[in-house]
Amino acid sequence: MKKRVLAGFFLSLSLMLSACSGGGGTAAPGDQAKPQEGQQAAAKTELVVAAEQEPVGYDPHKVPAASSVRVYALIYDSLTKLDENMNIVPNLAEKWEITPDGKTITMFLHKGVKFHNGKDMTSEDVKYSFERILNPDTGAIAKSYFSSVESIEAKDPTTIVFHLKNADAAFIANTASAYASIVPSGSTDLTKEAIGTGPFKLEKSEPGQYVLLKKNPDYFNKDLPKVEAIKFQIMKDEAERLAAIRSGKIDISVVSADSAKLLEGKPGVQVKNYQSLEYSYLGINVNKKPFDNPKVREAISYAVDRNQIVQTVWKGEAALTGPIAPALTNWAVDTASYPTYKTDVEKAKKLLAEAGFPNGFDTQIETAATYPDMVETAQVIQQQLKAIGINAKINQLEWGNYIETWKSKDMNLMVGRNTSGVDADRSMRFFFSSTGSANVWNYSNPAYDELVNKALATVDQAERKKLYDQAQTLLVADAPNLFLASPKNYYAVRDNVDFTPSAAGEVYSLIKTSIK
Amino acid sequence: MGSYLIKRIASLIPILFGISVLVFTILHLVPGDPASIMLGTNATPEAIAALHKSMGLDQPLVTQYFHWIGGILRGDFGVSVHSGEEILPQILSRFLITLQLTVFGVLIGWVLAIPFGILSAIRAHSKTDIIVRVATLLGISVPNFAIGTLLLLGFSLYFNWFPPIDVVSFWENPAEAFQVFILPAVTMGIVVAAGVMRMTRSAFLETMDKDFIRTARAKGNSQWTVVMGHAFRNSSIPIVTIAGMQIGYLLGGSVIVEQLFSIPGLGQYILDGIYQRDYPVVQGGVLFVALVFVLVNLLIDLIYTWIDPRIKY
Repeated sequence: MKKRVLAGFFLSLSLMLSACSGGGGTAAPGDQAKPQEGQQAAAKTELVVAAEQEPVGYDPHKVPAASSVRVYALIYDSLTKLDENMNIVPNLAEKWEITPDGKTITMFLHKGVKFHNGKDMTSEDVKYSFERILNPDTGAIAKSYFSSVESIEAKDPTTIVFHLKNADAAFIANTASAYASIVPSGSTDLTKEAIGTGPFKLEKSEPGQYVLLKKNPDYFNKDLPKVEAIKFQIMKDEAERLAAIRSGKIDISVVSADSAKLLEGKPGVQVKNYQSLEYSYLGINVNKKPFDNPKVREAISYAVDRNQIVQTVWKGEAALTGPIAPALTNWAVDTASYPTYKTDVEKAKKLLAEAGFPNGFDTQIETAATYPDMVETAQVIQQQLKAIGINAKINQLEWGNYIETWKSKDMNLMVGRNTSGVDADRSMRFFFSSTGSANVWNYSNPAYDELVNKALATVDQAERKKLYDQAQTLLVADAPNLFLASPKNYYAVRDNVDFTPSAAGEVYSLIKTSIK
Repeated sequence: MGSYLIKRIASLIPILFGISVLVFTILHLVPGDPASIMLGTNATPEAIAALHKSMGLDQPLVTQYFHWIGGILRGDFGVSVHSGEEILPQILSRFLITLQLTVFGVLIGWVLAIPFGILSAIRAHSKTDIIVRVATLLGISVPNFAIGTLLLLGFSLYFNWFPPIDVVSFWENPAEAFQVFILPAVTMGIVVAAGVMRMTRSAFLETMDKDFIRTARAKGNSQWTVVMGHAFRNSSIPIVTIAGMQIGYLLGGSVIVEQLFSIPGLGQYILDGIYQRDYPVVQGGVLFVALVFVLVNLLIDLIYTWIDPRIKY
């Protein structure tokens, strides 16, 4: 009975609404038609992608927000890019040569590439872009990626030579970053201009509502992109995105693991996932007592059951991880080889007693309230540490506050998430070398520094791999962080859309996406 | 009356000045700064310093305050440190959207609340009254995000109907605007209705007990004349008060409803500003909301004199 009343209520309201939509007037095409019809119309060539956050400007060198990157990475190109197997492949640079000493890198640019304003893309633009990144006044995100660069030479319009201070094995991988996009020489204010060589042009940006990109007809890869336009529709609420994708108002949306479960088997929608480059961690401040004692950290490592975190927080949809996320198959070490990954509460208690804490101690875990998975991870760890007598209080921080605490280098324990980056150098040196700018744990081990610095200077990839393997083992044993789990990421995709996400990134997948 | 108006408007200056100091101070006391939030846990110290400089955050606080307030006095709300966009046009265009949503929501609320509130009062303790009171209780106690989510999911699941995603204004395309705003406005309307209905009921109950109502009845007036002709106006003051306060709050941005339905209103704009520590956006936005709030209050006070001639300023 109640159901019927409810259904009747919805029915009458929807009748009212559909009556209203009849006189729709000059609404945007597609909006007037009923959703299903709109989806199946042969002429539909605009892909609607839900965006959880609004982009905050399009300067690829200065804006790190993910909501901006997903847009500007379609407008700009970088010299190289990743394929779905995470290999570095040519993009604006057709090929490259590295001298045996690793100090000179010559890149040969694709011929006939034009910027969206019709101007030819030449080595001068590449030189300008990298000099802009390296200029401290720019405040570029990628500046530290290219600290090995001594000078850049535009040899001829399609040849660019990078002279390095020291061999830098991560250099080529770093040129694949969207933060190293090539912008037209002489551009001043890139915040809104957004003129690149990329597969899409910025057509319109309606604050708070959407960003519309139109296909670049002169894109240098003639077969791409496959759709005429992409519209990033800003929808902050997950419930709204779910309702919108089910009724066909949007084509693609990131969804949480929980929502992915809800959508499984629902008509019209497919759920796709991939192993992400992210991993969660428990950070330990090695300067703080008692965490300065390696035995205490080892004890914590033995006490934490990473599998339980995978099961509880990620519902089994995550992989165990070391310092490099397992999606980077070329570099990641099998976690089975780490002794401390086998949970052993007795051993942990013994280690703690040896360190002088037979009865444990009190401490606190900082985490970000913004991310439910971080809070849950902290809660699971709290329970597990209790078993060896460590009583941890959880401190949930608002995001801005969390970042401040992270920067302060003064926390005790902290649950967070990192992105591995595409090259082992970033996962290792950036986060854990003594001078690494994201090393907020005060971790300093000369042996580790030597390994990662040597690996960076080694051009031979097999040799590099060996060095990184050693560095990873050393890092896990020293435990300035406990590396926990690398989750899967989920997309909900309409049935008629051919979209395959991968760790190579959304941009890589979107360019190849077509509508059936 | 004239001098009262001038006095009231003049009193806005210290109020707004106080608010500007308060919001500036509180915002800068809160931990977290825009540069490190933008750069997140990928930040290098140089990048943060460079960003600080370009945002003008390396200046002393007092300098920053006077720079900001000086701009406001010249009608320049500054630019967002995050996106570099001019703030004032953003505030105005988003306020217009919030205004449309509010008007729509409040109308729905009143249309529901006032007749049922009156009905419930004149038939106190009857079945109707009990139903209305239970409905009111539900409207007050169920949070609006739950109502909104239910509406959204209900319509998309059962009827495959989802409101158009892009917001259009009523002046451009009333039919489509109606579709865009209907669900968020109903969500808002339910909450508005609950408050107004409760107030209407109690105000009417009180009035219906008064001597002049007994006199009106004794003179043989019909129920309709007694209620609409005598009781209505005399019960309006508390109803107008609560309605005014609601409008003030809603115009400040019904954050949750805007967030839920992706309505790019003022509330969402300020909320995003808070998350990103976008100081000029939050400061400018809050100041604007404060101005709207006091103006709405002033308007309500003026309406009092029209409703009840005994009130004189």
